[in-house]
Amino acid sequence: MNDRIFKLTDVQYSYLGKYPALRDINMTIRKGEQVALIGSNGTGKSTLLHILDGLIFPDRGEVIALGQTLNEDYLSDEKNAHLFRSKVGLVFQNADIQLFCPSVKEDIVFGPLQLGFNDKIIADRLAQVLEILEIGHLLERIPHQLSIGEKRKVAIASVLAIDPEIIIFDEPTAGLDPLTVRHIVDFIVKAKQKGKTIITATHDLHIVGEIADTVYLFGKDKRIIKQGPAEKILEDKILLQENNLIHIHGHSHTGFTHAHPHLPTEKHSN
Amino acid sequence: MIRTTSIKNGNFLERSALSALSFVKNATLYEEFAVNKGFLQSLEPRIKTIVFLFFLITAVCLKSAIFIALLYLLCLTLAFCSGVPIIFFLVRTWVFIPIFSLCIVIPSLFSFVSGGQAIASFHALGIKFIITRQGLDGAVLFVARIATSVSLVVLLSLTTRHGELLKVLRNFKVPQVFVLTVSMCYRYLYLFAVIIENIFIAIKSRVGIVSHHGKGQHIVAWNIANTYNKSTQLSEDVYKAMLSRGYSGEPRLLEKFHPQLKDWFCLIGSVIVSACLFYMELRK
Repeated sequence: MNDRIFKLTDVQYSYLGKYPALRDINMTIRKGEQVALIGSNGTGKSTLLHILDGLIFPDRGEVIALGQTLNEDYLSDEKNAHLFRSKVGLVFQNADIQLFCPSVKEDIVFGPLQLGFNDKIIADRLAQVLEILEIGHLLERIPHQLSIGEKRKVAIASVLAIDPEIIIFDEPTAGLDPLTVRHIVDFIVKAKQKGKTIITATHDLHIVGEIADTVYLFGKDKRIIKQGPAEKILEDKILLQENNLIHIHGHSHTGFTHAHPHLPTEKHSN
Repeated sequence: MIRTTSIKNGNFLERSALSALSFVKNATLYEEFAVNKGFLQSLEPRIKTIVFLFFLITAVCLKSAIFIALLYLLCLTLAFCSGVPIIFFLVRTWVFIPIFSLCIVIPSLFSFVSGGQAIASFHALGIKFIITRQGLDGAVLFVARIATSVSLVVLLSLTTRHGELLKVLRNFKVPQVFVLTVSMCYRYLYLFAVIIENIFIAIKSRVGIVSHHGKGQHIVAWNIANTYNKSTQLSEDVYKAMLSRGYSGEPRLLEKFHPQLKDWFCLIGSVIVSACLFYMELRK
């Protein structure tokens, strides 16, 4: 199929050859699709994102990306690497890893510079991302002086400056205040409307309904337990509870206290 | 300015460690004057570095303390015109290196090191100490040179952003990969200072201020190993982040230096000043 961006067949990965991180992963991601990978901590979501971005390669199984087998041989060719990196962008979970340059401006233009974009394109892309993410005032700042939310926005800008067709987010809202979460979710929704393929790993179920059409649920055994439309997966309370994604907690309303599992899809009733 | 937790009752090593961390954090963050609007800040970094290099060579080559003092006065004037508070600048430049050099140079004041015309003498511990003119002149010249050189370098670093200073290295044909590596080290120094400080506070919150000597050594060793592991992991992750954005072994960095007419005037001015000082010294 022409619109197939990623196809993973029986992918397995382990750290140091003995700590399994992914088992029997099969998935297909199509162009323009918005996918969420959900699962509790340590279920292999980030590892899978690194595989999709061609940063690590599976021990077994096959990854087809943009019609080519994604492996070390393919990416060791500079032309292939250039093409792949200009089409796939990964926003890392830890923004401190992604922001390694002495200033915000240099971090944002790092990708376009490495990919050989000309000065005019770089200047245009810089102006665009500064406007989209409203971070023009941070341009000359040193990355370590920024707040976590600002760092996350700059990290997104540094990927967006490449203008990739496929954007991969690793826990984009983890540790952020509600307003910054809203900004980032709004940004992902806008990117979705522009037809970008978006793959997001998260355990924040409140944002999944907005940012994804298809959801893959990862279990503690590093396998995909279930996949399907977002609303269908989010409705399955028992499955989510079994996988540590929701929990029953007691809380107070005016006059009384009760306990029930909280789900993003349900309305809160007394 | 960032202040680390003050520990009034802490031991010497503890205070030294925290002070060192505080220094690293302040040094990496201190760009307050570099982002101000002032004379030196308005100059193009490459030209500014060459101007300061001229002045440094002049300070090293001049043989008269009076002309070196004139250069020092010029340095103070430049600091003033660039919005750097003079008291702050004097403290920053005189506290360490020139004072230490003063200590080093003291023996050369006396006749048993530098013979010559006696200008003063005194008795101490039953020994007669004679200060000679040649000894005093040599000591004054030595301290003046060091103080002026240190002041010039400090002024350059205070009025130029660290990242720009590193990029100036590119113009001296230093390979891009070296510049990138140094700037990344600089970037992550702060991160590691914070990590080490947090580990220290976490340990203290569990074991208290006082710990057994042997246990203390164990904690320090564990800390070193842990930080080493973290730095290895960080370097792998940063490399992945670079790869992800198209890095392929030879980095390309943003070069945005564009010298203006003012910069060229300044460069010519520095050459004239240096030439005048040498000329006046020759005529003296």
